[in-house]
Amino acid sequence: MAMSRDEIYKKVRAILVETLGVDEEEVTPTAALREDLGAESIDYLDIAFRLEKAFTTDPAHPFKIPRGELFPENLPAVMSDERYVKDGKITPDGIVELKKRMPYSDFTEFDKAPSMESAASLMNVDTIVNYMQARLNA
Amino acid sequence: MRWIWIDKFVEFSSKSSATAIKNVTLAEEHLHDLFPAFPIMPASLIVEGMAQTAGILVGEARNFSEKVILAKIGRATFHTLVRPGDTLVYSARIVNLSESGASISGTVRLGLEDDALLVADIELMFSHIDKNLAGAAFPEHNFVFTQQFTQLLNSYRNAANIPL
Amino acid sequence: MKFNLIDRIEEVSDTRLVAVKFVSLAEEYLADHFPTFPVLPGVLMLESITQAAGWLLHRSSGFAKSMAVLKEARNIKYGTFVAPGNALRIEVDLIEKTESGGSFKAVATVNGKNAIWGRIEMAYFDLSARQRAIDSDIDRQLGEHNRQRWMLLTQPAAAPSLDMQTPARSQQ
Repeated sequence: MAMSRDEIYKKVRAILVETLGVDEEEVTPTAALREDLGAESIDYLDIAFRLEKAFTTDPAHPFKIPRGELFPENLPAVMSDERYVKDGKITPDGIVELKKRMPYSDFTEFDKAPSMESAASLMNVDTIVNYMQARLNA
Repeated sequence: MRWIWIDKFVEFSSKSSATAIKNVTLAEEHLHDLFPAFPIMPASLIVEGMAQTAGILVGEARNFSEKVILAKIGRATFHTLVRPGDTLVYSARIVNLSESGASISGTVRLGLEDDALLVADIELMFSHIDKNLAGAAFPEHNFVFTQQFTQLLNSYRNAANIPL
Repeated sequence: MKFNLIDRIEEVSDTRLVAVKFVSLAEEYLADHFPTFPVLPGVLMLESITQAAGWLLHRSSGFAKSMAVLKEARNIKYGTFVAPGNALRIEVDLIEKTESGGSFKAVATVNGKNAIWGRIEMAYFDLSARQRAIDSDIDRQLGEHNRQRWMLLTQPAAAPSLDMQTPARSQQ
């Protein structure tokens, strides 16, 4: 199913507005899900469920998002692992681990100044759109 | 006060939908506090009735192996006040279910008929906390599905009048 | 059993109310929720923020109407469990006052951590105005009950001393 990025973006935006109770204006491509839009872990599940429903065209072959594929599992455990975060700073191993777990996030800004703060913005609206684009055009 | 807000299942389709009823009675003490001059069933306890109906539905879908905990009320909209003598009918259906949790949608009506007066529309999300609450302390055994709840389901499945 | 999910109102203005609910093992329903793991049920946290919003409506309107009930709850999320021995601090902020009530942003915390947060809309009205069969005397009785309950919830924190010689604690 070929869908333009803009079409995908609009569907994702509608889901975020509904799930997170935010205004459409607040949903921008780089809006961080947690920091800017107030998403909690239960919301990530809610978003994944709604994406599955919204992008299923054939009920016999429902669109499914495997656990951890879009939203990384157990990030708190990773962030408290000494190999990845030491003295409040992300180690080179930690950066590798983050990139492995979040392949759909844009690390350009993060790479300029890697920190816990910039890591928090890695999961944003674009991440979801990137994921959906990759899945739909596969 | 016992923490059981449904009385009986009248329909139960595993992994799909369930309907339970609750009779609102003047024997319930808390009604006399809310309010003395005009007892009503509090909206929050109507939400709990839906949470229990749907929670058992979600729990049974995975053989009561998960600790199913209410994590989000997406929306709960109330349309009418509920009085003693009313029978609440909770109809819940699973919208989505995964290893991590579930989302359900339900309606509450004042009777079993399809057009019985609508009390509320409720959307809830449950979390399977064993899979999600890393770091939070809670017991290993399943404290959520007590006999009080499993008994409700058993009574539905083994429905038969017991003659004296 | 009293269905009073607020023990004390700490601050109140026309647009904001802060209250506390203390959780105790003496609360009967805890025996069922859950056996071996007593925690305040999520819907009772919802009830506490509903009641807080109700009191804000009563106070800001001068107890103009008799009934303050939940019309809609939206995006209510739960965080930390609330165990007995803890105090739940409830904060509600009026976002928009409407003809028939108001909408609020609410958050309740325990030891600084979020236990519940989200938005609620309250309906504020007189029963006799909604249904002709109901006598306005019912509204009057409800109003009286509300005023008395309000006095109970807004009593000063320090109780009078039992000792005749010692001044009351609040005066020390």
